[in-house]
Amino acid sequence: MVVLNAAIGQIARPVAALRAVAAGPSRGMLREQGLVAGAQLAAGVGNLAFALVAARLLAPGPFAELVAFLALYLLIHVPASSLSAGSALSPTLAARTRRRALVWGLGGGALLAGAALPLANVAGVSVGLLLVLATVVPLAPWLALERGRLYGAERHGRVAASLAIEPLLRLALGLPLAAALGAVGGAVGVVLGGWAALAVARSVRSSGPPAGAAARSVPATGTAQRTYAGLATAAFLVLAILQNQDVVLANSLLEPGEAGRFAVLSTLGGLAAFATTTVPLVLLPRAAGGERGALAAALAIAVALGGGAVAAVALVPSGLVGLAFGDRYAAVGALAVPYVGAMALFGVARVLVAHRCAQGGGRRLVAVVGTIAVGQALALVLTADDAGSVATITLCTMLALAGTTALPELLRLRTRSPAPHDVPASGVPQAGSTGDALGPHPDPGPGRDPAERPRIDHRAIARIPDWVAVAVLLVIAAVVRLACTRGIWLDEATSISQAQMPVGHMLEVLRSTDVHPPLYFLILWCIAHAAGTSAIAMRAPSLVAGTALVPVLYLLGRELYDRRAGMLAAALGSVAPFVVWYSQEARMYALFMLFAALATYAQVLILRRGGKRYWLLYAAAAAALLWTQYFGVLFVGVQQVGFLAAAYGLRRSGRPARRFVLAWLGTAALIVVAVAPIVPFALDQFQANQSAGKGFNAPTNAGGGVSAGAQPAPGIYALLTNFVWGVGGYHSDATMAELAALWPLGMLAGLLALGRDRQPLSRLILACAVLPALALFAIGFAKPFLFEIRYFAGAVPLLLVLLARGATGWVRGTAATIGLSAALLGTLSVADADQQLNRSNPRTYDFPGALSQIKRRWHPGDVLLYQPDDLGDVITYYAPDLRMGPLSAGVPQRRDAGRVFLLGSFLTDKGNVRATRAGLARLRRTWRPLGSVRAQQIRVWEFGK
Amino acid sequence: MSAATRVIGDEPAGDVRLEAPAWDGRNTGSVRAIRLMMVIALPLTLLYFAWLLQPGRVGNPLLYGVLVAAELFNLVQAAGFWWTTARQAVRPHVALPEGGTPPRVDVFVPVYGEPVEVVEPTITAAQGMQGARVTVFLLDDGDDPAMLALAERHGARYVRRARHEGAKAGNINHALGLTSAPYVVVFDCDHVPDARFLEATLGHFGEDERLAFVQTPQYYANATQGRIQAASWAQQALFFGAIARGKDGHGAMFCAGTNVVFRRAALDAAGGFPEGPLTEDFELSVALHAGGWHSAYVPEVLARGLGPEDMASYVSQQQRWARGCLSASRATLRARLPLRVRAQYLLSSMYFLTGWTVLVYMAMPIIRITTGAQPLNGSTADQFLLHFAPYFGWALLTVSIAGAGSYTFGAFALQSASFWIHIQATILTLLGRRGTFVVTPKRGRAERQLRPVWPALAMLALLVAAALWGLHRGVSPGNLNNVAFAVLHIVVLLSGVWAALVPPRAAAAAGAAGEAGLGDRRRPVPPERLVA
Repeated sequence: MVVLNAAIGQIARPVAALRAVAAGPSRGMLREQGLVAGAQLAAGVGNLAFALVAARLLAPGPFAELVAFLALYLLIHVPASSLSAGSALSPTLAARTRRRALVWGLGGGALLAGAALPLANVAGVSVGLLLVLATVVPLAPWLALERGRLYGAERHGRVAASLAIEPLLRLALGLPLAAALGAVGGAVGVVLGGWAALAVARSVRSSGPPAGAAARSVPATGTAQRTYAGLATAAFLVLAILQNQDVVLANSLLEPGEAGRFAVLSTLGGLAAFATTTVPLVLLPRAAGGERGALAAALAIAVALGGGAVAAVALVPSGLVGLAFGDRYAAVGALAVPYVGAMALFGVARVLVAHRCAQGGGRRLVAVVGTIAVGQALALVLTADDAGSVATITLCTMLALAGTTALPELLRLRTRSPAPHDVPASGVPQAGSTGDALGPHPDPGPGRDPAERPRIDHRAIARIPDWVAVAVLLVIAAVVRLACTRGIWLDEATSISQAQMPVGHMLEVLRSTDVHPPLYFLILWCIAHAAGTSAIAMRAPSLVAGTALVPVLYLLGRELYDRRAGMLAAALGSVAPFVVWYSQEARMYALFMLFAALATYAQVLILRRGGKRYWLLYAAAAAALLWTQYFGVLFVGVQQVGFLAAAYGLRRSGRPARRFVLAWLGTAALIVVAVAPIVPFALDQFQANQSAGKGFNAPTNAGGGVSAGAQPAPGIYALLTNFVWGVGGYHSDATMAELAALWPLGMLAGLLALGRDRQPLSRLILACAVLPALALFAIGFAKPFLFEIRYFAGAVPLLLVLLARGATGWVRGTAATIGLSAALLGTLSVADADQQLNRSNPRTYDFPGALSQIKRRWHPGDVLLYQPDDLGDVITYYAPDLRMGPLSAGVPQRRDAGRVFLLGSFLTDKGNVRATRAGLARLRRTWRPLGSVRAQQIRVWEFGK
Repeated sequence: MSAATRVIGDEPAGDVRLEAPAWDGRNTGSVRAIRLMMVIALPLTLLYFAWLLQPGRVGNPLLYGVLVAAELFNLVQAAGFWWTTARQAVRPHVALPEGGTPPRVDVFVPVYGEPVEVVEPTITAAQGMQGARVTVFLLDDGDDPAMLALAERHGARYVRRARHEGAKAGNINHALGLTSAPYVVVFDCDHVPDARFLEATLGHFGEDERLAFVQTPQYYANATQGRIQAASWAQQALFFGAIARGKDGHGAMFCAGTNVVFRRAALDAAGGFPEGPLTEDFELSVALHAGGWHSAYVPEVLARGLGPEDMASYVSQQQRWARGCLSASRATLRARLPLRVRAQYLLSSMYFLTGWTVLVYMAMPIIRITTGAQPLNGSTADQFLLHFAPYFGWALLTVSIAGAGSYTFGAFALQSASFWIHIQATILTLLGRRGTFVVTPKRGRAERQLRPVWPALAMLALLVAAALWGLHRGVSPGNLNNVAFAVLHIVVLLSGVWAALVPPRAAAAAGAAGEAGLGDRRRPVPPERLVA
């Protein structure tokens, strides 16, 4: 109970912060954001309803025409809508720009109308539809400007009305017109809805913005105003390109089937992006005025909407995708979560972009976002070959966008108060005066009046509360972890198979065949019996633990050093490849990391603050650690030495140590009592392994040899490799060799550490990270398989905290800190992408791919053989209905089967290779080889009669 | 209110020398831990060298020979460091005898054109030292009338020579001839003594009749005011911390030329300060130890001075020290010194050869990338790491622990970027070229200083070019390994020269102010105004 209180204590702070944000002015901000976002969602639902009813009203041909019209309608509105951003920042400028926009729009519309006839032939759309579309050309920029003006004037009710009227008219007028006139009627309804939305927006004409907002937003001069608003418009235009270019490029780069699959993905992802469209626009004027809580409210809404979309897609069974879009698109379901997550990230990044634009950081931002957009386009053009790769590139792009825009806010590097002259009467953000992580703003130039530059009130800059930032990181972490492209592998399949047994039987099997403590398996057992054994359900404990690690890293970094270190540690934890990998694996290692980090955090709290609840938290975390992984004992051992040193230090300094020692001994006793039940369990496991001739020499799980590199004893490269795995994740053998060759940079790190962080707690963290690894390195000379990063995975979060400390505390200056942090974050992100996508990753086994190929060619009476024997569980998981058996059990006779498939894996292991070759030779004696196919780390041979 | 208090109160509030020191040289940490580390270091060292010196390791024989020579030299330095720091001593406080007449002490503050605002706090604080009858002498070799006014203002004696010979040593020797107190204290003009300076040091002379001098740390109070100051202080802190305590433990502490109390009899016996060498203090110490005199070190900050504030000042200081100490190695070899003391002096002199090893290490990746030649047999790359990493890591850890965290990467980088100074000093010493004594400037200059770092920049350019060429050739592990070595050196060199490339604004402003003040105060003093 007290432990629970301690945990609640940790949660209570963010909750209190949430209340603080929700209270006072922020409550209003949340309400206005909620109102407009609600209207946007309602508009989305209305548009969807319009499309669904139209599909039933119209024949397929006219309906297709209407859909084509809607696509063109969107094509005009998307770039035009970026005008809303500039208009929201400078409503008076919007009024002056309206005339010009209208002239250009009318001109464009007339041009389109004039060219309707030839275009109709080219585009395959009727002339009537093109004529209707011509009326949209002047409408789109005008509507964007007027809505932007309403955002700037903080007339959110009117914005909501303008948003809502559009689908209402579509439904009320468009559907009857469609029924009467076909596609053109529906199109007229759509356009009428748009003009009605404009009329609603225009109904607020000269009332102007409220006094407060006017005082904040009026720029100093026309030039500054245009630049300021223009940059925001440009930034949102680039964002619009970023949002849509993947589907456009996919359409031209991929073969039709794949392009179609991606179109379905894009439609799903569009939900998340669409839902958050209004959030940055509501934020813009508030952020320009530097209102506290505005950014927090916007982020909270964006995260909630984006997270909601991700959760909705994650929870919807993949079969529904097939039901909604057709069976051919059912496979897209697996990519839906990461892609919708990418769009959710885009929504968050868009809020941050708006915030920086409002602060006058638009120029650099346009350059940065533009660079990211170009990078995405290049990556798509050069590497995209299927829907999955396009989705992955988009996910990486959105991660980069979110990271680039979030890092300055997360680190919150400049907190100085402004000089009085920084805050002019106009109060419009001043370019270059903010803590712009993207670099200093250019000088206004000779002859140019600095007063023309928009100005900002530093004191009023809205900052992200820590809990919001951590929540954003949590969402990013969840998205990155959900973006898992690999299937269940051997160890996971073994765990899943065990989890399906009756609990007593499972424990007995674990006791007699496994080498791990039972906590993780008990959790898995509960989930398997409550939610089934789908991959997502089975990986959920790891996913939750790996994601929960992010706030723990933040707390640990903050407690040890400062909030910057905590924030960067959390950011690193959200993308760290090793953490991501094991957060996606149905094994106990994510829990191992979480409990190790929690125990360390509790110990730091004890040594810094003292207090019974922290001792209890420590006892709980340490006991859970030992119940999760036996090698947790190494961490707990180092921590106990830390307590001993602390007690000695107290005694040496003459301070009373009795209470500390008593609390320590009591906690140790508690841990012993908590762990006592698994001691006989562990002894039985050891005995069983000894009797089986293993004696923990090789884990029971297949693949252990692969991870240990099949070395007779750990060498220096094993040490390096494990370090690279821990920090940089799993990569191809060639990449690992290249990374290991960079060891002189380790010397540099050692030199850089000279004279830094000599506080005892840093040494304790370092000891907890290094000593268990060294202990296993030493043990590895006797038991080579034990020196493997998984068995000291608890060191990884601690290394991340130390890295974060190095990046935020070891360099001087804002630019250096941001640069180093960004480099670190970027490196880990790239490493993560390589780990997840590179098909040369020797840890990735494509069992689902291989088995789906077999299933496609499967006929009743066929037999599947596999080598090695351990593959049974994973094959059963993916193909329970196939008739199968291990190759070691023998080759079927011709009369016993129609055809024979042999699935071989772990073909880098000499024993396996020998056994597989022998099996193939036996098969060839009786059966006729029909060919073979390869999947990642797997080969399948097919034999017929 | 005393005169000292009054004047200090008149000082600009920002003078860091008047603030409490942020370093305590008495904090030895655990000598037992250092000894334990040394015990562990020995087998690691043996492991590495036993592996390195096997015939099968030879790649390119020439490169191998050069590498082994560099490694052996560093081994000697490292072993010397371990040996020195394993015998650290912190002398207990020895009070002055109670009752009786306090001893007379002559305090010499040599100046040579430094700004008044730098010297004034030193004079006022020296006047305020307690525990003895103090006479402060301002030894002006710069013929600056402002110094005369300063001395008169604070009741100090003003000394000016008619002929400026023998630099600082000559200046002090001249003053020794004019004075007679049994104890002589020397402060560089920027070192502001603590009122307890004499109380903390003079007592030791009563304990040992053959004690020639008591040295105290040369503390840089401006260490927090810039990159160069911080790095040079970090180097000083390692020396005046673990090394100086160790040297005292071995009875071989040498005089640093400031913040030191001499027994006049010892100085007289040695014939005063030697005027020929660039490091008169170092050679005086050799002479005193050779004459059977002893030295003592009190690791307590009793005077607070200013470290070099720009790269030119640092380079100038290092050039003088390097040339002086390398030249002194001859005197050390010739002098009749106990073996242990001789070894300590030689270790200190030979330190200024480490620049050669830095050059060797930096050249290796360049040679490997451009020519393919390598010192070690290529097939032993992983074995090299296995044997080298523990030795290197442990040596680094030992420095870190012995230095109680005071030795920083900045200090290492600055030292590495100064490699060429050691090479220059070696060559000039071998050629027998005499150097001139240059006073370390006390104020930084407001400019980018490429000249003092051009050799480092040239090496940097070579390393960058080699790294780029290496990457251009491919990303094979062997290539990447050498590129990584090049990157290691690039980062170190760049950090070391960074202060010269990007001078801090504060230093620039201060430098500008200092220079402005200096111009007005360098008018010569008429000889008739001489006090002594």
